[in-house]
Amino acid sequence: MQKEPITLTYDAIVIGGGIAGGEAALNLANNGYKVVLVESRLSVGGKMIMLSKVFPTLDCSACITTPKVSEISRHPNIKIFTESDITSIDKLGEQSFVVKMTQRPRYVVAEDCTACQLCEQACPVIVKDQFQYGLVGRKAVYIPFSIASPKVAAIDIDNCTLCGACEKVCPPGCIDFTMKPKEYIFNVKTAIVATGFRLYDPTNVPRYSYGTAKNVITSIQMERLLAPTRPFHTILRSSDGKVPDKIAYVLCAGSRDDSMGNPICSQICCMYSIKQAQLLLGALPMADITIYYIDIRAFGKGYDEFYEQAVSMGVRFVKGKIGKITEKENGNLTLRYEDVATGKLKEAEHDMVVLSVGVKPNKEAADLFKSHKLELDGLSFVKQSDPLLSPAKTSIDGVFVAGAATGPKDIPDSILSAGAASTEAISYLNQKSQ
Amino acid sequence: MKKKLGVYICACGGNISDYVDIERVREAVKDEDCVIMAKTTMFACGDSNQKDMEADIKENNLSGIVVASCSPKLHLTTFRGVSERAGLNKYNYVHANIREQASWAHSDNKPGATEKAIHLVKAAIAKARLAESLEPIVIESKRAVAVIGAGVAGLKAAISLARMNDDVYLIERDSKIGGKLNELETISPENISGKELLERLQKEIASEERITLITNAEVVASRGNIGDFKLTVRISGPQGNTEKEIHAGSVLVSTGFNSYTPAEGEFGFATVPNVITLPEFRKLMGGQKKAAEGGSGKLVYNGKEINSIAYIYCVGSRQVKGDNKYCSRYCCTAAVQASLDVRAIAPEIENFHFHKGIRTYGKQELIYKESNSKGDVYIQFMDKKPPVVSAAEGGISVKALDVLTEKRESEVIADLVVLVTGMVPDSDTSIGTLFKLPKGRDNFYNEIHMKLRPVETVIDGITIAGTCQGPKNVMESVNSSLSAAAKSHSFVSKGELELEPIIAYVNADTCNWCDACSKACPFNAVAMVETAGGQKASINKSTCKGCGMCLPVCPSDSIELISFTNRDMEDMIDVLAL
Amino acid sequence: MSNRSAKILVFSTEKISDPAIDMAGLLKLHYPPQVYTIAVPCSSGIKPRWILRAYEKGFDGVFIAADGSDCMYGESCTEKTGALVEKTHELMREKNIEPARLRMAAICSVCSESFVKQVKSFNEYLLKTDK
Repeated sequence: MQKEPITLTYDAIVIGGGIAGGEAALNLANNGYKVVLVESRLSVGGKMIMLSKVFPTLDCSACITTPKVSEISRHPNIKIFTESDITSIDKLGEQSFVVKMTQRPRYVVAEDCTACQLCEQACPVIVKDQFQYGLVGRKAVYIPFSIASPKVAAIDIDNCTLCGACEKVCPPGCIDFTMKPKEYIFNVKTAIVATGFRLYDPTNVPRYSYGTAKNVITSIQMERLLAPTRPFHTILRSSDGKVPDKIAYVLCAGSRDDSMGNPICSQICCMYSIKQAQLLLGALPMADITIYYIDIRAFGKGYDEFYEQAVSMGVRFVKGKIGKITEKENGNLTLRYEDVATGKLKEAEHDMVVLSVGVKPNKEAADLFKSHKLELDGLSFVKQSDPLLSPAKTSIDGVFVAGAATGPKDIPDSILSAGAASTEAISYLNQKSQ
Repeated sequence: MKKKLGVYICACGGNISDYVDIERVREAVKDEDCVIMAKTTMFACGDSNQKDMEADIKENNLSGIVVASCSPKLHLTTFRGVSERAGLNKYNYVHANIREQASWAHSDNKPGATEKAIHLVKAAIAKARLAESLEPIVIESKRAVAVIGAGVAGLKAAISLARMNDDVYLIERDSKIGGKLNELETISPENISGKELLERLQKEIASEERITLITNAEVVASRGNIGDFKLTVRISGPQGNTEKEIHAGSVLVSTGFNSYTPAEGEFGFATVPNVITLPEFRKLMGGQKKAAEGGSGKLVYNGKEINSIAYIYCVGSRQVKGDNKYCSRYCCTAAVQASLDVRAIAPEIENFHFHKGIRTYGKQELIYKESNSKGDVYIQFMDKKPPVVSAAEGGISVKALDVLTEKRESEVIADLVVLVTGMVPDSDTSIGTLFKLPKGRDNFYNEIHMKLRPVETVIDGITIAGTCQGPKNVMESVNSSLSAAAKSHSFVSKGELELEPIIAYVNADTCNWCDACSKACPFNAVAMVETAGGQKASINKSTCKGCGMCLPVCPSDSIELISFTNRDMEDMIDVLAL
Repeated sequence: MSNRSAKILVFSTEKISDPAIDMAGLLKLHYPPQVYTIAVPCSSGIKPRWILRAYEKGFDGVFIAADGSDCMYGESCTEKTGALVEKTHELMREKNIEPARLRMAAICSVCSESFVKQVKSFNEYLLKTDK
C-alpha cells in the first residue's frame, strides 16, 4: 500500500472529462494555465464520443470529439486522470483549494499497453458492455471502446475470475493484479465542475415495458446502433436480428412529467430523435418512422430547418401521449396513445420502439465539496448563483460550472458554457493575484 | 534528396469507406513516386492512429505525409500537430479531402467516388513531393480588444476581457449602453428587470480601468489584421464628428439583433387597433405596479381597460411563406413570462395563447407549467392556417383552427392582441460589410463551426458574441460572450502571434519592375527596390497575406506563391487530368 | 440521363467557395465525380497558364468558384478575377480553345446548391459541345 498520497500543484482542476470539461481545460491550458482533469470513467470524451452524428449538421460525432480529446490528452499544460474519484475538495482561502483523489487500479500498466487486444481474446469471461449500453457483451479485460482515450485495456475486477489467461498472452507483460488504488492530493487555485448529466432510467415507468419487452430500447442504445463504431455494423433488433422497418420514437420519456420525477423539458431529445430518424431513413430507406411528441422543440440555430427537413423526408410526426407499450409474441410492440388531433385513444404496432430518454442531474458533484457548500437548485442541478450575468458562477467563489451540470444542454450550448467557465476562472485567477 | 512519403487513408468509421473503396485507393497510390508506405485507418484523427503516424515518421524517417480524410478545415491543425511532435516540419504534411469532396459528394456513385479519391490522393502526393519546410512568421499582437456593441453581450465581454488584463475599447453607436436590456421587463429565470441588470453592469464597467467606453461611435474603416487591427471610429458630438484611430489585436463583434417589425396588416398590425408587438407590450407593463404591491389591479391601453389578451406566436419566425424560416428561440419563454407578468399587474386578466407548439425548453418548462396552472388557455394553430385577426364588436377577433380539438375553429374576442415577434439580424449591417463577415442562411453572422469553433469567424482575429450570431436569451448571450472573450483573449494574451508563412516571393532574375504587382496588392506589401540588377519588386513578409492577387498580373511570370507555385499547381493538374 | 460526364477542374478558394463545396458533400447534393477541385487562397490569384495547362492535359472545362464580393482580401477580387478570366479567354482564342470551356461564378461560403447547379449545367454544356 502506498504510504503517502502524491501531492501535486496545478492552477485549476476540471472535474469531468466530457466535452464541456475538455473544452474548459483546453481554454485554460491554451492561455498558459496548468490544469488537472479528473474523469471517473476509463476514457475521456463523455457522452459525446459515444454518439453517432450530431444535429443539425450531421457531422460525425467521433470526428469532432476525437481530435478534441487528442488535443487535451497531448497538451503539455493538461494532466488527465481517468478511473479516478475525487473524495473531497476543501477551500482554505481565495485561490487555495485542496483536492483529494483516489485513482482506482485498472490492473494494466497503462504506459506499456499497446491496445493489441490479445488479452480480450484470451479472456473467458463475458459480461454486458456498459459502453455499448448493454447491446453486446465484452470481456472482463477490455478496451472500453475503439476510440477510447487512453486506448488502454483495463480489468473489470468484479467480474474477473483471476484465471490469468490474459497475463499469459500479453506481449509487453503489462497485466498487474497487484495494483492498488493510488491516493493524490492536488493544490489548486480554482475548480471547474463539469460533471455532466445522467440519462433518465426508463425502468421507472413500468408502462413503457423497458427491460421486459425486448425491442424497446433507449435513444442512447439507438445512438450506438447508428454510430460509426457500432456493435453490429447495421441496424437490427438485438433480440432476433430482424431489421426493423416500423420504428416508433416516444418523446418526453422521463421529461415534462412530475409523475416521472422530472418536471422540466430535457432540451435535447426532440432534436436527437429527429436526427436519428433522418439517419435511420438513410440506413433503411424503406423504413416507416413515427415520432410521438407533445411539442417539437427545435429552437437552436438551424434546428427548425432540420425539423422541417425530417418532415419532408417522410418522418411521421404524431402529436400524442403514449399510454402503454405491450409486447406481442413476435416481439413487435403495441403502442396505446392518445391522438391529440382527434382526442381519441388509438393503437399502433411497431417492430421497434425507441424511448427518447431525458436528462437528469448528477447529484454527486455537491458531495465533493466539504468545507463550503456547493448549492444545488430545486431540481438537483448545480445552482448558478448569478445565472443571467455570470452563468458559470456557483455558490462558492472560485468554483465554476460548465456544461450540463447546471441543466440540460445541447453540445453547442455546453461548449459555450465551458468557454464562459474558463473565462470566469481566468478572471478569478487574475483578479486576486494582483 | 528524394522525399520519403507516408500516406494515410481514413475510413472515417464508414463515412468514407462505405462509398470509397479505400483498399483500392491504397493499392493505387502505394507505388507512386516517393511513397514508401501507404496505410488505411479507421479514424485518422484518432489518438491511436496519431501515435502510429508519429512512430512511422520517426522510424522510417519520413520527410512528408499525406492524409486523405475529411475536409482540411476540420483537422489541419491535428495533423500539423502530429508532424511537429514527430519532428517533421508541419508544412511537409499535405491533405486530401476524400470525404466532403468524394465519399459524401458522390455517395450515389461508388466507383466514381473511389476513382476521384484516387486522383485526389495522387494530387496530394504530387504536392507533398514538392513541399518544403517553412517557419511561421511571428508578429506582435496588441494586448487590446475592440468590442463592438455595448448590449449585454458586449458589456460582459468587455468586463471579462478587462479582468483578464486586456485593454478594451468598447464601442457603442447609441448614446447610452445596454442595448435591448433597456427595454426588458422580468427576465426568465430570474425575477429581475433588464434595467436592474444594466445598473449592475454599468457599475462594473465604470470600475474597470482597462475599459475605454466610446459612445455615439461608429467604426467606419478598418485596416490591418489579426494582431493589429486599426479601426477608424467616428464619434458624433454636439460639435460635429471627430475621428479616432484604435489599435486592437482582436475584434469582438456583439452588435445584437432587431425585433421583427410586422408588415402593415400582418395579423392586424397597424390596421386593427390594440394590436401591438411583444416589445411594445413589455414597455406598456414597464410603468405598472404589481397588484400585490399596491397597484390598481388593472391594465389600461388606449384608454381602455384590458380584460383579455390574445398572444400570437411565431410572428416573423418559422414563416411558411416569408424568408424567416428559423425559430427565434427566446420568444416562447418571453411571451409566457410576459403573460405571467401581466397577471401580477392585473390578476383578473384572461390570457389566450395562439401558438405553433410552445418551446419552453429546459428549465423554462417550469414557467409554462405555472402559466397553465393559472388557467391560461393555449390554442395550437396549424402551420399553414395562421390565425386571422380582425376588428370585432367589443374587441378584436382572433380566429384559428385548433390542432387539439380536431381542427375546429376557435374564436377569441380579446381587448389586446400581442404579436410575439421574433429576432431578426440587426438592420445596420455596416460591421459585417466592413469586416466581410460571412452570414448564414438566416442572415445572422456565421461561426466557423458550431461545435469546434462556435465564436470564431473565418476572418482571423474576429469573434462573434450574443445575438448577432443567432437568436439567444440573456443567459445564452452571456455564455457566448464569455466564450468569445476567452477566444479573443487567447489572440492577444501572449503579445505575439504566429502567422502562416504562405506568402508570395519574387524571382529577381526575371522581374523587370513594372508596378503591376504593386498595384494589384491590396495590402501595400509590394515595393520597388534598387538592386545591382536594376529595379525589382520586393515583398514585405509581415504584410503579405498570401492572397496571390499579384500572381496573374505579372507580365514576366516572376511572382510565385509558396505552396501554390507553378510546379505545385501544374503537377497537381497533370495528375488530376490523367 | 447520360452517365457520361465531362472532366472539369474547379478552382475553389480556401475560405469561401471550398467550404460551400464541402457543404455540398455534407448535404449529399450529388454532382458528377469527374469534377475535381483545387483550392487556392483567392480566386484573383489564379494564373492563366494553370488554366491552359488543364486543357492541354485533357480537362474538358475549367470552373472558377470565385470569392465574389465576400472575398476576405478585398473588394477588388471580383474585378481582378474577371480580368484574369478575360485574359485567359483571349489566350484560349489564340490556341483555338472554345472560350466557353472556362466558366466563372461567385460561390459564397454557403452557396452549395448554386455550386452543384453550376457544375451540373456546365457538365451538360460540355457534353453537348463534345458531340
